[in-house]
Amino acid sequence: MDYILTAENITKDYTKHRALDDVSIAVPRGSVYGLLGPNGAGKTTLIRIINHITAPDRGLVTFDGHQLTAADVAQIGYLPEERGLYKKMKVGEQALFFARLKGLGKREAEASLRQWFERLEISEWWDKKIEELSKGMAQKVQFIVTVLHRPKLLIFDEPFSGFDPINAGILKREILKLRDEGATVIFSTHNMASVEELCDEISLINRSRNILTGPVGALREQFGGNVYEITFAGSPDALRASAENIGQDFKLGGVDDRGYATATISLGSAADVRPLLAAANEAVHINSFRHVLPSMDDIFVAAVQASNTDNDPSEIQLQ
Amino acid sequence: MNHSLKLIIAREYLTRVKRKSFIITTILVPLLMIAISLAPAAVMLLSSPENRNIAVVDQTRIIAPRLDSNDEVKFVSVDAPLDSLRADTDFDAILVIDANAVKNPADAIRLYSRGAPAMQTGAYINSQLEDAIEDIRLEEYNIDNIKQILASVNADFELATIRIDKEEDTATSVGLSYVIGLTLDMMLYMFILIYGQMVMNSIIEEKNNRVLEIVVSSVKPTWLMLGKISGIGLVAITQILIWAVLIGSCSLWSMPLLGDLGASSESTEIAAAMSQLSDTGFIAGLFLYLLLFFIGGYLFYSAIYAAIGSAVDNVQDASQLSTIATMPVIIGIISSMAVLSNPGSTLAFWVSVIPFTSPMAMMSRLPYGVPTWEIILSLVVLYISFAFLIWLCAKIYRVGIFMYGKKPTLIEIIRWARYK
Repeated sequence: MDYILTAENITKDYTKHRALDDVSIAVPRGSVYGLLGPNGAGKTTLIRIINHITAPDRGLVTFDGHQLTAADVAQIGYLPEERGLYKKMKVGEQALFFARLKGLGKREAEASLRQWFERLEISEWWDKKIEELSKGMAQKVQFIVTVLHRPKLLIFDEPFSGFDPINAGILKREILKLRDEGATVIFSTHNMASVEELCDEISLINRSRNILTGPVGALREQFGGNVYEITFAGSPDALRASAENIGQDFKLGGVDDRGYATATISLGSAADVRPLLAAANEAVHINSFRHVLPSMDDIFVAAVQASNTDNDPSEIQLQ
Repeated sequence: MNHSLKLIIAREYLTRVKRKSFIITTILVPLLMIAISLAPAAVMLLSSPENRNIAVVDQTRIIAPRLDSNDEVKFVSVDAPLDSLRADTDFDAILVIDANAVKNPADAIRLYSRGAPAMQTGAYINSQLEDAIEDIRLEEYNIDNIKQILASVNADFELATIRIDKEEDTATSVGLSYVIGLTLDMMLYMFILIYGQMVMNSIIEEKNNRVLEIVVSSVKPTWLMLGKISGIGLVAITQILIWAVLIGSCSLWSMPLLGDLGASSESTEIAAAMSQLSDTGFIAGLFLYLLLFFIGGYLFYSAIYAAIGSAVDNVQDASQLSTIATMPVIIGIISSMAVLSNPGSTLAFWVSVIPFTSPMAMMSRLPYGVPTWEIILSLVVLYISFAFLIWLCAKIYRVGIFMYGKKPTLIEIIRWARYK
């Protein structure tokens, strides 16, 4: 696999506590990689190490196949959680300053800034001061500043906080577009819905350790416990009778406003789903039949709780 | 020069110079300074007191005739009881002279005044009385031509000081040197404190609104710190230069006037002062040293201020720590006051070598003339210590800017310097 960035066995100590303890991650090129974890888990420290702002005490970071150097930082775009812009400076002037700090020429920077401002429909803000903008507006400016120099690696820390759904949608669209154009995105957030939507792979960091790593789909599958949900019209008892021959944990849910009842049933981990479907089809009139995957939210909470009680998070089964 | 350093300096410089507050203070302060120096004269002109009538009740009958009225004070001899005079609003004051006034004036003469008398009025009446009583007492000795004799023995004069350690003997004015030294001192003190704290506050602001994280993801923290210090320093130099040009052009215009005044003045002190002031080389030299010591002192202290700014989250927390920087500046200004009154002392030498106090101390000594090797020594020590300090403070800064929350102690801050 081609990784744009790897961090191997990173340990970082501060005076009073260990911020990162033997953390490893590997970010595949061209993916959206979720860096998850509760507050204070060590995500920001890891991001700072990737940004070459602080150095790890132990461990190795590679970028694009070689050990990370200060020069590589020009290939990284970083959008911090708390937005950092000069309040008293005009939007355009400021964006130009940051673009040039990243090494763009003045003319080149201005041209592509104008383009981006148009794309995000904020051209009329060019001469406004940051303090005159709302939080979401300032965030758009910050987003442009982050991506303008077309970095190979983009790091977004909570990019959607403060955005209304429309603007969050615009931002998601732009992030995916950047990925399609070849950029790799590291995405740090607490918003698990957006993780399901955007991320290809995740690492979950808790209490300075990486407790869970893998592709989002595989993780959901792994934690799912092979549960199926059937909505149907007909006799629930008939369904129960035939389903309980095949799986366990038959549970009956409520009836929705269209008259369909819901039932869930768990199959063994590697069991074939076709007998269940056939039996259910015999017993009732099926409206829908789906494999239930746990939400990332559930996985996050369960994994963090397991790790806090010193259990192995990969052993947990949800449902 | 490093590309990003240039960008940072340009940003720091331009955003400040373009601010309205900068433009206003830069233009207003010299005007204010000129106004302040003209103020005493203006006040004198405006406050010349109106005619004051003084009723004189003289029981000796020999003092009153000797009192001369002038434009402001008019003595009128009257012969009426004090009580009736008190009611008479024609008089602003009543001077009562008892019979034993010549012998014992302090007890025998009183001035009853309606409202507080103006200082000059009181002083004028007093000097008139003294002259009158002295004259009367002299006459009591019955010596002929006593006044002429006294005039011929009067030896009131001012000592002229000529510097022999300079290439040509020049008359110098100790008074002027004192005033120039004090002015330069105060300017340096103000500039170091104001601009040093500007560095600190601007770092705290950047840390608070997290701009720092964006900037240091593009440039090294040390470059950011150096860029900020240099950019703000250039703002200060711009201000000094503009002031110099404004004040300089005012003086150029008044220079011939000063020369004339000096030439026509009877006082050697004033003559020396005026010739010194119209000596362009002397002024330009002072200005050059002011710049050199300002730059050194500013860099030295701003490095400390930068380290403090990086260590705290808000201005309130900074105020305590910033005494680390403010105290030496204040000690510097206090010791240079001592230096001003004795510029050749051992203390003066040492405080003008130690970098914490040397900019201020040197500024107070320079107008008196300081051996060149001492100036060079002082500058070299100052700039070397600045280089060391900036290296040390950059290490603290690099760690401090990412420390949020708890206010660190001084010991913790020093420990940061040892972080890898």
